[in-house]
Amino acid sequence: MNEFQSAKLEYESPEIPRELESRVRAGIAEGKRRAGRRRVTVRTFTAIAACFAVLFAGLNLFPTFAAAAAEVPVVGQVFRVLTVRSWHQSDGDATYDVSQPAVSGGGDFAEKINQEIQKRVDEKVAEGNQAIQEYKEAFLSTGGTEAEWAQHDNKVSVTYSIKSQTDTTVSFVIDSNVSIADAYQEEYYYNLDVADDQELTLKDLLGDDWVNVCNTSIKQQIAGSKDPSVFFDASMGGFTTVDENTGFYINAAGNPVVVFPRTTIAIGAMGQVEFEIKK
Amino acid sequence: MSTEQLSDYLVENQARFYHLAYSYLHEREETLDAVQSAVCKALEHIRTLKSPEAVRTWFYRILIHECTDRLRARKRVTFLPPETLDAGAYEDPLPQDESLARRVDALPPEIQTVIKLRFYEEMSLQEIAGVTGWNLNTVKTRLYGGLRRLKVSLEGADQDE
Repeated sequence: MNEFQSAKLEYESPEIPRELESRVRAGIAEGKRRAGRRRVTVRTFTAIAACFAVLFAGLNLFPTFAAAAAEVPVVGQVFRVLTVRSWHQSDGDATYDVSQPAVSGGGDFAEKINQEIQKRVDEKVAEGNQAIQEYKEAFLSTGGTEAEWAQHDNKVSVTYSIKSQTDTTVSFVIDSNVSIADAYQEEYYYNLDVADDQELTLKDLLGDDWVNVCNTSIKQQIAGSKDPSVFFDASMGGFTTVDENTGFYINAAGNPVVVFPRTTIAIGAMGQVEFEIKK
Repeated sequence: MSTEQLSDYLVENQARFYHLAYSYLHEREETLDAVQSAVCKALEHIRTLKSPEAVRTWFYRILIHECTDRLRARKRVTFLPPETLDAGAYEDPLPQDESLARRVDALPPEIQTVIKLRFYEEMSLQEIAGVTGWNLNTVKTRLYGGLRRLKVSLEGADQDE
C-alpha cells in the first residue's frame, strides 16, 4: 500500500497551531469541571399552600426580597418570581452578566428554593470564573501573550426567564453560560405549584401514561420534522425515552415542553431541542 | 483510567488529533474547536471508558463524531443511508490528477473514516470496528469500496502489522 505513504505525509503536513495545547488544556479543564457536577437538568418541588400570612413571614425572613418586592404591587397573586440581584461587570478577563430570581410568597418552601437558587447562581458564576482563569493560565503558559489574551471576548452569564405563570403555578428556567473558546451552556428548570401541596411533574400534567404519551408524541414530531436525519438514531445515543430526569417547562398554553440539551439527541447545529406535548 | 492519565494521553497525542480533525474540516479555527470540544467531552464522560487499553479507540470515536457532526452542521456533505453506501456509492471516480490525500477527503465521511484510520492511523480492522461501531464486514465493505473508488491496489489492505 505504498500509495498511502505520500498521502500520509500530506495528511500530516498541516502546521500545528501553537495554541493547540492551550485549547486542549482548556478542554481538559472544562471537561473536569463538567464531570464533577451534578448532571441534573430538571427539578420539581413540593409546594406548600400560599397565603398572605406566609408571604409576609417569608418577606421578613429575607430583607433583600422584601426590598425588591416592595417595588412590585402584589395584587391578585400571592406569589411571584422577582429579580433579587442583578449585576453586570467586566474585568480584564471576562464580562459577567447575572440576574438572580427568587420566589416570594411561598414561606418555607420559597425559602428553600431561594436558597438553592442563590447557591446555584453563586456556583455557576464561580465555575465560569474558574474556567476562564484556567483557560487564561493555559493560554499564557503555552506562548499566548497578555495582549492576545485581551482580544478574547469571554462571557459568563447566569440569567433566568419565566416560561409561564398562572395564579397557582410558575415555570422558569435558569440559564448559565460560559463562553470562552467554545460555549458551554446549562439550563435548569423549575416547575412549581405554589398553591397545591404536591410535586409538579410530567405525570401530574399528563397522567399515569405520561411516558408513553411523551414518547409517542416525540417520535411523531421527529418523524414529521423537516429533516429527520439531524436526529441521532438509537444506536448513536439518540432519543429512546423520557424519564424522571427529563427537563421540561410549562408553556403559556399550559402544556409541558420537553427539552433536550444540545447534542444529546440531535446534531449540535440543532441547538437545544424542544417538543411540546399537548395535553 | 484516572483523569490525570487521560489528560496526559490527550496532551501527548494532540498533534495526531489535530491532523485527523483537520482532514475532515480543513479549517484551522474549526479544527481547534473540534479538538477542544472532543477533549472536553472525553473528560466529562471518562466513566464510559471501560479499560485504559481502549482509550485510543474510545477517544477517536468521540473525535470523529465531533468532526462529522460539524460537517453535517455545515451541510457541505450529505450523509447517505447505509444501503446506498454499501451498494453504489463507490462508482464515481474522483479526478486522478488530484493527490490521493485530497481524493480520500472527498469520499463520503463513512468511507474516508475507514481509510484514514487504516492507513494514516494504522489501526487494525477490528480497532476500526471499535471506533466506528460498525461490524467487521461493514468496515471491510467500506474499505474495499473506497479503495476501488480510489483505484489503488487492494493488496494487503486487511493485513495487520
